[in-house]
Amino acid sequence: MQPPKIDTTTDPQVGFRPPGTLDAATALQPYDGRFGTRHAAHLLRRAGFGGSDADVAHLASLGMGGAVDSLLHPTTPDADFPAYPPSDKLYDIKVSHPVAQYWWLDRMLRTQHPLVEKMTLFWHNHFATSINKVPAQYMCGMINLFRDQGLGRFPVLLSSVTRDPAMLIWLDNRYNAKAHPNENYAREVMELFALGLGNYTEDDIKEAARAFTGWSIDAHQQAVFIPARHDDGQKTVLGHTGPLGAEDVIAIIVSQPVHQRFLAHKLLEFFVYSDPEDELIEGVAQVYALSGFDVAKTVGTILRSNVFYSTRAYRAIPKSPIELAIGTLRYLGAQTIPANLVYQLARMGQEPLNPPSVKGWDGGPTWINTTTLLARFNFVNGLIAQTAPGKNGQPAVPAPNVAPDDMVQRLGMDAAKVAAAIVSGVVQDDVTSDVRATIVAYLNSQTPSTTVQNPVPFGPENYQDKIRGALALTLNLPVNQLD
Amino acid sequence: MQRKDFVVGSALSVAFLGGNASQALAQVASGSPQLPSFGNANDPDNVLVVVQMGGGNDGLNTVIPWSDDQYHRVRPQIAVADGQILKLNDRIGFNPALKGLNELYKQGRVAVLQGVGYPNPNRSHFESTQIWETASPDRPQQYGWIGRYLDKRFPLNAQPPSMFEAVSLGDMLPAALVASHVEVPAIGALNAYGYNTGRDLASKQSAGVLYDGAKAGQSPYLSMIATTARDAYHGGDLLRKQTAEFTNKATYAPNGFAQQLALAARLIGSSAGAKIVFVSIGSFDTHAGQRAQQDRLLGYLGDGLLAFYTDLAAHGLADKVLTMTFSEFGRRVAGNASAGTDHGTAAPMFILGGRVKGGIYGDHPSLTDLDHGDLKFATDFRAVYATVIEKWLGRDPSDVLGGAYPTLAFV
Repeated sequence: MQPPKIDTTTDPQVGFRPPGTLDAATALQPYDGRFGTRHAAHLLRRAGFGGSDADVAHLASLGMGGAVDSLLHPTTPDADFPAYPPSDKLYDIKVSHPVAQYWWLDRMLRTQHPLVEKMTLFWHNHFATSINKVPAQYMCGMINLFRDQGLGRFPVLLSSVTRDPAMLIWLDNRYNAKAHPNENYAREVMELFALGLGNYTEDDIKEAARAFTGWSIDAHQQAVFIPARHDDGQKTVLGHTGPLGAEDVIAIIVSQPVHQRFLAHKLLEFFVYSDPEDELIEGVAQVYALSGFDVAKTVGTILRSNVFYSTRAYRAIPKSPIELAIGTLRYLGAQTIPANLVYQLARMGQEPLNPPSVKGWDGGPTWINTTTLLARFNFVNGLIAQTAPGKNGQPAVPAPNVAPDDMVQRLGMDAAKVAAAIVSGVVQDDVTSDVRATIVAYLNSQTPSTTVQNPVPFGPENYQDKIRGALALTLNLPVNQLD
Repeated sequence: MQRKDFVVGSALSVAFLGGNASQALAQVASGSPQLPSFGNANDPDNVLVVVQMGGGNDGLNTVIPWSDDQYHRVRPQIAVADGQILKLNDRIGFNPALKGLNELYKQGRVAVLQGVGYPNPNRSHFESTQIWETASPDRPQQYGWIGRYLDKRFPLNAQPPSMFEAVSLGDMLPAALVASHVEVPAIGALNAYGYNTGRDLASKQSAGVLYDGAKAGQSPYLSMIATTARDAYHGGDLLRKQTAEFTNKATYAPNGFAQQLALAARLIGSSAGAKIVFVSIGSFDTHAGQRAQQDRLLGYLGDGLLAFYTDLAAHGLADKVLTMTFSEFGRRVAGNASAGTDHGTAAPMFILGGRVKGGIYGDHPSLTDLDHGDLKFATDFRAVYATVIEKWLGRDPSDVLGGAYPTLAFV
């Protein structure tokens, strides 16, 4: 019997992969189905910040395994980036915040190792610290730490975070001394960083706080351990007793099955979908434990898995503002961050280096409300409308990948073909046929446009503005708010 | 015996100990010819306007302890001269820039709450702002105090009657208004709020077609996003249409704060039906050259609030609206070497409205009995919030604040 013909233009999900149940035993097995443009784009959005048509086509050409490997273990060196912003600006309180924020956004935009930067963003939200309390140079240092160690072993990362100056400042652990213990850091390690509420007692926090005593920041802005401030007495944390120090407590914590599930859950939420099944969490927790708490191996398993390429995972996560903004700029081929992007991101609800609290951003559906959606839409509209060179001598933003001239040269002065190319590039055809028709109708509309004196259908007089307008409409589709 | 400011108790019974407060008392009484109607203090139509004085407003140069020599002694560069102070009684008076607020005070519409703060004060702008806005000095809180109130008032299945039930006038949503499920629009300016495509009208029209026709699909979040996109797209037009029903009947100065209040009045008085409005003014972070900056801002504040009250009164709305000011902290008692002040602690709050029981609540904090050079607080700000929530908004404050606080008598 012929399988029913599926019209991929009628529903974003149908046709991505046949619907059906996925049993827990095979959910984490490597996916061996078709790996086309939509699969590659899905991977690039989740394991990076999306990209241009060419970026997606390249990834698709590598096949699933090759594509994941290229993201997880890039073999070519990255573009050159400064380790820190220029110090004259980084230490100038008047400009240090935006300087640090743009320093990082630039890297997100231009890096050729997008998964590394995506994990950096993941850890920035996980170990949330804010430039509102922590001086900019330490914030940059912590971002560098996440980049260096974010795909390594979690206990090593947690140990580095424990002695990271930004964290020592943010959660006051630099004041945590034998004579006057401060529980702030120990509490968040248990509640937010490694175990989750309900998986420890108040006594565990008190005892762990004693183990975390002794750290400070020296005159060279480096973390320093001062033995005299450390409490080396007996402590009992999660049932383990001894003269425990920070490393001991970290080892005790990561050995807890509840920690393994905690981190598995967070990785699944970030990469797959927001409400992972218990069996799936358990499966990833096992992978994580068996790998020796290796983040790269765990993430690799997730990105290759059947469940990652399932219909349930496709277009299932609301994009964060940073994902939306960087993804848009990458799609357009921009090489510079727009001068007001930090402000725009703040309006969308995610100012980089400034999460609202130690809990980070809630994310998921909380990204979306009328105010933040308008901020997203108007960010795109403003970006697309920038035809003149940008401010401060920066180049104009909408850039080579979608240049109207090239598009018309390639496709002809044909509204339907142009609309098809845009819809395919921006949202991989995940639209209904009436959306497509509306975009074509816009291209042919005779309502006054920005520069056209005598409105006419899509043609030589107006194709530049019309293509920009169609790009904005497509970028602003509800489905493009989903990763 | 320690001298006390007079304290307005319940209704208009006034208690004071010592001092010659009769003149100020007479002012309060004469400004309130009618007894307020307390029976409907927690009417569901009551409106709360919160004014954030960002940056840490210097309380000592706002409500000035003019008769205390210590004030002049520790602030040689920035003390306000006695002759200029708008005296409220024999101890305290307003900064002369607050002449608009003083008008309202004389009408008995302003409660001055003295020495408001919290234990173990935090002197960081960011952290203390979070503390005030989330009403949580000890633990970081995800949602703001007003956000939690809104979540309680409108459970998941009970949508607010208007999409502008609670609004923030400014581009960013302050922490106070972050709720788990009730949406609070942040409206920077009337004309900027909306789907903006410049002169490309066709693009704007097509976006409307796309959002109105958006289909849910199978993705769990797609229909939520499509619905929100539709509301967002139409929200700007709706806002302009609704607020156009209301004409301001007072003259607002051309500064940003006064313009926010003009829009607040339109949101409250029109079918937009706003019940919570958050506005802000600043920066009060006056480390140097304080007098010029703070006096200018206090002028905006007092004159703006007078225009706002006048406008509301002209529309018969003065009794429906209660306005409350706050700042993340006061400033140090002693001036610094740059004719400014550094971050401090307790400070006064103002509460005003047609049904507010005007007067002075609490003592002025001592200028000599200090905590690390800073004023000691007498009233916990959460008691002020509890009062507003219980006696003005008609909800159980312990639900929202996570604990019980004594309520005050200003409403």
